[in-house]
Amino acid sequence: MAFDKMELQKIEVWDGNFAAAQALRQCQIDVVAAYPITPSTPIVEGYAKFLSDNYIEGEFVMVESEHAAMSGCVGAAAAGGRVATATSSQGFALMVEVLYQASGMRLPIVLNVVNRALAAPLNVNGDHSDMYLGRDSGWIQLDAFAPQEAYDLNFIAFKVAEDHDIRLPAMVHQDGFMTSHTAQGVYTLTDDEAYGFVGEYKPMNDMLDFEHPVTHGVQTEEDWHFEHKARQHNDLMTKVFPKIQAAFDAFEKLSGRKYNIVEKYDMNDADVCVVCMGTSVETAREVATEMREKGIKAGVVGLRVIRPFPFFEIAEALKDVKAIAALDRSSPNGAPGMLFNEIAGALFNTDKRALLSGYVYGLGGRDLTKAHLVSLYTELQANVDAGKVTTQLQQFIGVRGPKLAFL
Amino acid sequence: MMKKGWDEFEIGAMLRTFDGKIDDIAGTLQEDRAYSENSSFVASVADWRINKPIFNKDFCIDCQFCWVYCPDISIISRDKKMIGIDMDHCKGCGICVEVCPTNPKSLLMFPEKSDEETELATWPAKNKETK
Amino acid sequence: MLEIRWHSRAGQGAVTGAKGLADVISTTGKHVQAFAFYGSAKRGAAMTAYNRVDDKVVMNHEKYMEPDFVFVIDPALVYTSDVTINAKEKTIYIITTHMSTQELVASQPKLEGKEVYTVDCIKIAQETIGKAIPNTPMLGAFMKISGMYDIEFFKDSMKRILRKLPQKIIDANMLAIQRAFDEVK
Repeated sequence: MAFDKMELQKIEVWDGNFAAAQALRQCQIDVVAAYPITPSTPIVEGYAKFLSDNYIEGEFVMVESEHAAMSGCVGAAAAGGRVATATSSQGFALMVEVLYQASGMRLPIVLNVVNRALAAPLNVNGDHSDMYLGRDSGWIQLDAFAPQEAYDLNFIAFKVAEDHDIRLPAMVHQDGFMTSHTAQGVYTLTDDEAYGFVGEYKPMNDMLDFEHPVTHGVQTEEDWHFEHKARQHNDLMTKVFPKIQAAFDAFEKLSGRKYNIVEKYDMNDADVCVVCMGTSVETAREVATEMREKGIKAGVVGLRVIRPFPFFEIAEALKDVKAIAALDRSSPNGAPGMLFNEIAGALFNTDKRALLSGYVYGLGGRDLTKAHLVSLYTELQANVDAGKVTTQLQQFIGVRGPKLAFL
Repeated sequence: MMKKGWDEFEIGAMLRTFDGKIDDIAGTLQEDRAYSENSSFVASVADWRINKPIFNKDFCIDCQFCWVYCPDISIISRDKKMIGIDMDHCKGCGICVEVCPTNPKSLLMFPEKSDEETELATWPAKNKETK
Repeated sequence: MLEIRWHSRAGQGAVTGAKGLADVISTTGKHVQAFAFYGSAKRGAAMTAYNRVDDKVVMNHEKYMEPDFVFVIDPALVYTSDVTINAKEKTIYIITTHMSTQELVASQPKLEGKEVYTVDCIKIAQETIGKAIPNTPMLGAFMKISGMYDIEFFKDSMKRILRKLPQKIIDANMLAIQRAFDEVK
């Protein structure tokens, strides 16, 4: 091949952004169409640098907006290339229209979403508002809790998305700043291991196959639209999890790092647990261990896969626990939080229904401290002791002013 | 700014520039306006400087270049006469010195802790043209 | 767990310094984390950066920290921000200033009774690197005060981290690290 390989150390100290950029290099992305936005910019900057330094054979397309970035990705993917980009927040919001195009056209684009708050008020820091905005868009959504996972999950994303039985775009989420700008030790794959894992890109119905001309992005009205959407939903509901599991298994064999659709921590005998996403999962794990030293049997459930939603896996993970806190890092703006609703739905028709309460936290990057989590676990234990939820069902953590509680 | 609770501020992503009503903003000089504590005008960035500009009016020709180019509107000019530098908002970027066309320059950068009178007393002499 | 907080201005290299330190420590088998608060992210604005070091993987992602060491790499921040916030009784301070430790503590009563060391990283950086980028000299001073690693090992590690820079800049940084190591009091 015409490009150079890069020698990596076994452990590199990388932030989440650079880890993702390195994964894109190792996957040999053909086209990145991108528009910069904090905090995701260094990912596509990194790709562009690797490209100009001859570590990649590909194309970097500078465009005038995130809408155009995703449109460029759609065009390149339909043409038959391996395609990826990155964005955050307002840029993600501007992409939304095209996200639906990408998934409806069944184009296996990988989008690194560095989670950030949505304005107004303007805020560049991390929360899950943009991630939540994408959850009905028909994409697979994988969530990284730390830089290592931002690296690893990119390989998983390509492996699953590009499978000809799947052909769905995938997002790899990481927390803005808390992962994207936090440097930690990242165990690397060699270029050959990484590329061998994702494999050479196999186009499907590509527009550049001139012997089999095709039209992408057709119009369907009442006569066909529903069937297309139904098929997409069917594939998300039935086909994606087995492929993700297979990819996790293959990845474990390659790297020794084990991923699960639902990440359980100390859940075997837990009385109380929090369910959350992103960096909070790791902080909660540390606090759960400390709570056990204080006699509270605490556990943590982290969502590795957000879409498709692991309905049965989450019910299984929570079947023996007595009190659950669903932590949403996005304002539900007039409803219970997404995780609260999804967990309630997953547990409603089961025999064992734990006490479920919801918490909204960390908006605009507000710190979720270990002290917050200690009082949260203590509150859950009080619920267990009382045999009922002793608070209102929805509370806010870490906001200034009179205590907020609803429902 | 005091960190208020969620119920203590006006709705919207909005801050008031003045606490009450203000008449004739255009006809009032900046330094005479009663800005509220929320206006960025009352926030000093003086401590950002490592180097500071010193103005020597003896050589200034009031060309206004520094006033035009200053990215922080920190050159104070009245009736098209350069009268000094707003040291609360100057970040010490040195652009005013770069664009100053006089010989010697009427603005020069010095370390933040240097003494203005000393520097003015030892201002460099005119450079011989070297073309 | 060893925790460090850097006080800096955006553009002075605290993030690069924190990441560089993490990189060096990581090669010795420890687990590291380096992150920062960016705020308005304007060059010159006060900001803080952080290091965590532990024998096991660092899972704590809270931004709250009670630091073991506080590095101040801009002289004015001792007065315009609270460098003692969330500190422990035994927190050690390494502060960039042109003053002596006694003069500095006298000028900022909050530092009274604390373990304070001073070094003029700005001057060292200006005289060696030619720019007021005081991050690498601070690390030299830290090596002296903490005794964490042998200074030659540390400089060799930093050479690897800075390897993409021109040789002249690398040499200047090594000089800056050594000078701060020698000059910190």
